Amino acid sequence: MRIGFNFTLGDTAPLVRRLLAAGRIDYVELLIDNFLAVPPDDLADELAGHFTVPVGFHIMFSKFIETDEAALDSLARRLRGLIDRLKPLYVSDHVARFTHDGRQLYHLAEIDYASDYDRVRRRVDGWQDRLGQRLFLENYPSIMDGGHDAPAFYERLVRDTGCGVLFDASNAVCAHLNCGVPLEAWEGVIAATPHFHTAGYNLSILQPHLVLDTHDRALSEATMAFLERCRDRFDKPGATMTYERDDNFDEDDIVADLDRLRAVFAPRIQDRDHGRIACLAQN
Amino acid sequence: MAASLALPRIDADLLDALTVPARQGDYPRDSRAFVRIDTSLRIYWHTLFDICPGLLDLSGPDGLAIFRPFMAWAAAEKLSLNWTYYLWVDVWLAQSAFRDRVTPELRLSLMGASAARWATGDRSEAGGIALGCAGLPDLVCGWKTRSILSGRRIEQFTLEEPLPPPDGPFGFFTIAGDDLPDGFPGWTPIPR
Ligand SMILES: [Fe+2]
Repeated sequence: MRIGFNFTLGDTAPLVRRLLAAGRIDYVELLIDNFLAVPPDDLADELAGHFTVPVGFHIMFSKFIETDEAALDSLARRLRGLIDRLKPLYVSDHVARFTHDGRQLYHLAEIDYASDYDRVRRRVDGWQDRLGQRLFLENYPSIMDGGHDAPAFYERLVRDTGCGVLFDASNAVCAHLNCGVPLEAWEGVIAATPHFHTAGYNLSILQPHLVLDTHDRALSEATMAFLERCRDRFDKPGATMTYERDDNFDEDDIVADLDRLRAVFAPRIQDRDHGRIACLAQN
Repeated sequence: MAASLALPRIDADLLDALTVPARQGDYPRDSRAFVRIDTSLRIYWHTLFDICPGLLDLSGPDGLAIFRPFMAWAAAEKLSLNWTYYLWVDVWLAQSAFRDRVTPELRLSLMGASAARWATGDRSEAGGIALGCAGLPDLVCGWKTRSILSGRRIEQFTLEEPLPPPDGPFGFFTIAGDDLPDGFPGWTPIPR
């Protein structure tokens, strides 16, 4: 398992460099659409000069399910240039609602997995065509009961479009805690993808507490237990696990989490069948 | 009222309420839906007052004297709450009881906040944006980052020869590169 760290803004470059120098991370996940105005030559030079490791591309604001075709063409042209040049380990994007009735949602909303399926499927086909690239789509940290439909939705979407899932383990834990989606429901998705996310989450201010995907604190014990239990299902050739942090950049805290992840996924000789049975039994 | 609405099952059932403070009261106080809407609204609150804390001098520390009526007005006007969020707050302030207390500094901070939001969120090929206002002579520009090691920049320009004022309260033009153009391309009205 390669362990990575997300890079979204210039401010965190010194932190990312220290994590790399200490061997705590193996790659950097770029929130690539934050850097589209950086001239491509400069972007390549800066990456080569500062990070010197492979990159993953995480697309945040393509809004590919909602955005008009001309804007997607323009975005895809620029992203393709960077994909060709930087050869990322994966290219990922989000399945969520960014707007409603033309109004921008600042806390992204979850799609309706049943009634939105056909449109999302067409949009995924179109976006993969435009990018000339298989996309890995990230699962949403469900709050409401619609989250129960998510695992089957992703399995169907993968079958129909050839996309992959960027499976965010802590988002699945959020959905489990908020609306009871069993972690076992994701086993097929986890087994079928090599690309993962994980991050800390926090509780809503008001009660009943919602578990919110805040990326601002240490990994929870529930997330760690999930990763440990299903370690062998996550780990596979070419697998990546990006640790996301977007606020409260406490370096000791981050280092401790990265070390915990490294320990979980440390190579070991293991009977894979035994690991699989343990995963099923303890969920 | 809570009794008149079917209990929401999925997130999409709440879409109409995620931007409208008054709609929160449609759901029971101890429900996940109520807290979900609260969580959504808090982000709009922080996006406004964390970036322009000068607004709190007008509203009081909880901001609600501005936030609640503005969000209700924005919903009635179907405003997109995109990068122009702060500019429409300025438009609302000018017709509110706070209008005599809005200083040029506060207005410039709202323009800077909108320029910054454009510079971080816009995904078009433009590199910068210039904002002009009917009542202030200066231009406020936002520039997308040109290096992975830095971030967006906001600049205020005092021109030797001020540009003609936009027709509406604000106007903008986008800039391909990372410097003000020689000619004036004319104002585009800000999107709603
Ligand atoms: Fe994630």
